[in-house]
Amino acid sequence: MDTVLEATDLTKHYEDFSLRGVSLAVRRGSIAGIFGPNAAGKSTLLKVLAGQVPAQAGTVRVFGLTFADAEQDLKNRIGYVPQEPAFYPDKTVQWLVRFSAPYFARWDGAGFYKLLDEFKVNPLKKVKHLSGGQKKLLSLALALSHEAELLILDEPTAGLDVVHRRALLDRLRAFVADGDRTVLAASHITDGLDEIAEEIWFLDDGRVVAHEDKDDLLARWKWVHFKDGALPKALEEGLVRVKRLPFGSSGLTGDYHNLRGALAGPLASGDVKLDNATLEDVLLSFIKGA
Amino acid sequence: MDPILRRSSFFYVMALFTYMSLMGRYMLTRSWPVFEVLPLFVPVWFLGAMFASEHDERYAYLRTLPIPDRQVVRTKFALILSFAAVQWALMTAAALFRMSDGIADPTTLVYITLVWTFGLLAAGGYQIAIWRYGFPVMSAVLGVSIAAGLALVIIHLASLKYNDNWPAFSQSGVVEWFGRAPWISNAVLMALALLACRALMQVGIRVKAASEAHL
Repeated sequence: MDTVLEATDLTKHYEDFSLRGVSLAVRRGSIAGIFGPNAAGKSTLLKVLAGQVPAQAGTVRVFGLTFADAEQDLKNRIGYVPQEPAFYPDKTVQWLVRFSAPYFARWDGAGFYKLLDEFKVNPLKKVKHLSGGQKKLLSLALALSHEAELLILDEPTAGLDVVHRRALLDRLRAFVADGDRTVLAASHITDGLDEIAEEIWFLDDGRVVAHEDKDDLLARWKWVHFKDGALPKALEEGLVRVKRLPFGSSGLTGDYHNLRGALAGPLASGDVKLDNATLEDVLLSFIKGA
Repeated sequence: MDPILRRSSFFYVMALFTYMSLMGRYMLTRSWPVFEVLPLFVPVWFLGAMFASEHDERYAYLRTLPIPDRQVVRTKFALILSFAAVQWALMTAAALFRMSDGIADPTTLVYITLVWTFGLLAAGGYQIAIWRYGFPVMSAVLGVSIAAGLALVIIHLASLKYNDNWPAFSQSGVVEWFGRAPWISNAVLMALALLACRALMQVGIRVKAASEAHL
């Protein structure tokens, strides 16, 4: 699989926040997820990757091109959904599409109105009268209607009810189904994107703290529930997020493949039990102070 | 028509319409100091149009569209220049019309061009400042500038009326000097203004690309 987006050593400083040396590469046809807590730098990173703001250091290449060389071409091929879309509030949705469509090289007007219908967004409504979730869906409809090859989505499910969230996730799966189109989304962990993402980046305090294929990541992270004294001391000390419970303890390991042998005995005796970890569990183990 | 130009031009057309209906018509009917004072309102109207247009602008959204910053800056400057050109043409036509009854003379043409140049460059400067510092910061500056401009013009008008020794800008040494060859002076002043405007536009392209305050 080839790479559609490649960022190297991205640095962006603000007064109270810095993105520091972030590198990532997104494969064509995949759904990649950037997860992290509030103020981890997800939105800043996506803005840089989508050519909304320049980085102070580092490079971004999308489809092998830089924004300095091919801004217009790249923005035709990227559909960017910001965390808070900044539409003209006093204008109607219909006005907005009449305003925006002429700038795109390709525009599927019928498809746009079909999406609005599906998302239950009234085109005659003024933008300021739309809910936060509807603005997100409008932004997504705009991104999908210019036949983008890469969607960059910032908290796309935020503010959506469960029905629209599910519809959005299905649409994103369908979007990448042909293997040519790609999705990069940033989100908090618990809103459904973790279900569909195939490759995961964890961001904290402006840095990438972990990057892995989701299945590999979840295969090596396990909850270990054990009775006191049932685990060898070295193994117990290797666990993170250890919780003392009335009937024993629980801890998380990210090294399950290497510990499998050492755990075989206690598992057989019933003194130890294993549970799958969620992405949220794993993320919390990476976040400072969580 | 470019959608940005179409959207923004509404405010400038409204400004032109209100200026001509509230002020400009007096250029055809009133006597001195109509050409001394009324052109001074033009920069104020200019800033008013910019205030309304920029208040309603959404640069963060524009940046998500495939429009290079260069194109946005050129469109905004084209709008400023078009508005200024129409204002200048209408005021100059009014001055030429009033020459026959002695209300305007050749120096009036130069005076109008000087004020026009000031308004054009001030508008360009404010536009760049909006990109550099963002509208929330610049709205206060624009508001104060508009209020101060109005106050100064009204004070100037009242002083001309009630104080015989109050100097008229249109009869200052500089204007008189340029007025010796009004058409040449006008051509030179306008060429210089256009060159300065072009330079400002280049600065605007760099400032807009580098700044995030307006997003």
